[in-house]
Amino acid sequence: MIALPHMKRRRFFQTVAALPAAQALLAQSTTTSTSSQNPAQKPVSPPPTPAPGGRGARGPSPIPDFEESSYEAVSEYEPKFFTAPQYAALKRLCALLQPAHDGNPSAVECQAPEFLDFLVSAEMPDRQKLYRDGLDLLNSSAKKKFQKDFASLDDTQADAVVRPMLVPIAWEKDMPKDPTQHFMAQAHRDIRTATQNSREWATAGASTGRRRFGGSGNFITPIDPVYRSN
Amino acid sequence: MPTKIYDVLIVGSGHSGGMAANILTKSGAEVLMLNAGPESDFERNRVNKPVHDLPFHGFGQPGRLPHVFQSNEFNANQWVDEKEVPYTHDPANPYNWVRVRLVGGRSLFWARQSFRLSDFEFKAGDLEGTGVNWPVDLAEMDPYYSRVEAIFRVTGRKEGWPEFPDGNFVEMQTGPNSKTVEKMSEIGKQRHGMKFSKMRTSLGQNGLASSVNLLLPDAMATNKLTMVSNAIAREITVDKNTGLANGVHFVDRHSHREMHARAKVVIVAAGCLESTRLLLNSGICNSSGALGHYLHDQIYGVQVVGSVPEARDGAHPQGLMGGGAFVPRFRNLTKADKRNFIKGYCVILNSGGNANPDFFADYGPALQKKLDHYAGSCVSGSIFGERPARFENHVSINKNVSDAWGIPALHIEVKDGANELNMAKDAADTIEDIFHTAGWDIVSKTDRFYPPGYSIHEVGTCRMGDNPKTSVLNRWNQAHDMKNLLVVDGASFVTCGWQNPTMTILSLSMRASEHLAQEAKKGNVG
Repeated sequence: MIALPHMKRRRFFQTVAALPAAQALLAQSTTTSTSSQNPAQKPVSPPPTPAPGGRGARGPSPIPDFEESSYEAVSEYEPKFFTAPQYAALKRLCALLQPAHDGNPSAVECQAPEFLDFLVSAEMPDRQKLYRDGLDLLNSSAKKKFQKDFASLDDTQADAVVRPMLVPIAWEKDMPKDPTQHFMAQAHRDIRTATQNSREWATAGASTGRRRFGGSGNFITPIDPVYRSN
Repeated sequence: MPTKIYDVLIVGSGHSGGMAANILTKSGAEVLMLNAGPESDFERNRVNKPVHDLPFHGFGQPGRLPHVFQSNEFNANQWVDEKEVPYTHDPANPYNWVRVRLVGGRSLFWARQSFRLSDFEFKAGDLEGTGVNWPVDLAEMDPYYSRVEAIFRVTGRKEGWPEFPDGNFVEMQTGPNSKTVEKMSEIGKQRHGMKFSKMRTSLGQNGLASSVNLLLPDAMATNKLTMVSNAIAREITVDKNTGLANGVHFVDRHSHREMHARAKVVIVAAGCLESTRLLLNSGICNSSGALGHYLHDQIYGVQVVGSVPEARDGAHPQGLMGGGAFVPRFRNLTKADKRNFIKGYCVILNSGGNANPDFFADYGPALQKKLDHYAGSCVSGSIFGERPARFENHVSINKNVSDAWGIPALHIEVKDGANELNMAKDAADTIEDIFHTAGWDIVSKTDRFYPPGYSIHEVGTCRMGDNPKTSVLNRWNQAHDMKNLLVVDGASFVTCGWQNPTMTILSLSMRASEHLAQEAKKGNVG
């Protein structure tokens, strides 16, 4: 239902500069930095006179646009929501369902298991239960069939556990009634999305010139947020 | 300093409120408009980001906006926060109430599909034998539709079909149909009596067809419109001596300060259910007992996906795939058409799509191979279907739950019935039959549909009618109980049809506002 008009890319500081309060701060910052960089040298022309109400001269922002790194690129996430056996099963499931293929990185390379541990930890209790029960079931089924944890199975063995849980889904909101099938459908969808929306996937896509899956979009910032009571 | 008494106070700035302001300011009225939210500024409020830079990588913040299926992590901030403005429903009968509290409301984001209702909807009671008709018909609405279509620059193809009334269209240039669309059309006509047309859409200006760019600027130019943002209406106030509305109590969104604005006429245009909530919280306009009842909207859903064999495995035969078709309602247009459901649905058909990974019980490279196999070869069909307006589908005030400003919340009780299920099954079977007859394989089929409210076309709850014992509003959108109070949004609807309601909402608001202006000049209001 969304139909928004075209909008050009905006940088943060350009955006901030449009706000009156920020303009006042930026104008102050301009004069301060000019004099402090070289006190002996006078500016060629006098600084703009602030307009009444604190509005200074408009122009390019004097605050540089620093190149920043994502926190994900410089650190690692330590899984904490799932138990060790559950997390090991999740990681094995990711490796099975979304391996590296056709130049695309695998779910494990894209850190989908780590991201899903974080995501499910923030989810509602029913989704958390779905995942915990489903991963436990993978382990119990693996032990029953092969006397090993799911994480220790080879691809053929893992397929024998997973395949019966896979069913076609005709409608996104109509997940299977069977909790095992529901878990597998949800996990499969989440693993695909976590993989294809990852930084690693985008980087690999950019290097091959292939279109990225998740791509980019116009993020709507909070609009005049309300004052929160203490 | 005594408070100014405005000629008209309008609650809401979406399509219906914007139209009322446009008409009434031009007629010379001094208008005050209260908006529950702030003014939006797309330039300031939108930042382009890659999905992996979002905190939840596009999954969205868990638990936020559970009823807004249209929400995603990019646009989550444009919708009303369900914790801030909660509502309740029976968990077994979910209702998706999708709201926007910005100046312009939902008119900022609508899909711009632009249809007229036909007399199959206005006079549905005659066709279905219930006797419940609108108090207006297409002939009476025609001049208003035409003027609205001119403002919104509606593009469409004229067909001359009574069930799909033509309008005052901007001429549409369309290329030839693809062979698959032609084939669907032939089979649909022969086997199901379908008629094939194209979507009708508001072009607006610069890709936006909102009250903020098409209606409110003219109103502001008159210098007769005073707009106040962040003013959340709590209650319509009534003069004890006259029994007429005399203003609105509102709460400042930031400070929570309670204020009162005065006016000779109050127009409620807060967006159907918010309008009804305001009336219910004010304890007015319910002598009929119909206030809050007959809530309905449209079924969105049913999905049948087929695959054209000649287009698989990367083959792209010239002119075979691509484009789509729009089939207006074709069921129950005569009394002789006996079905296990009343009313009807439109069908949206597309050609040239891909298969959804969910359709296959497979994974990894084998799944990718199937997706590649079907890529570009898919045809699909889905529907917008009319839910009947039933008395039992209603809203009331939940006195135990309030919003962030202490205003009691709405409780919504809506349940789908056999009519909806039978209609959806008929639609899925019909679309499947077309694809199957064409020789295309069925990749996926479902007759499921989204919960009530999902269409964002909720209407009813203040329905109009000539009988004050069974309706809340008269034929001019005035409350039967209070002639200086009007409700001009979708709450006035008697039946919704399968059509996007926006053109009808705008036309009704224009008509009601012009009538109000005429009556005010005669001294008949307020």
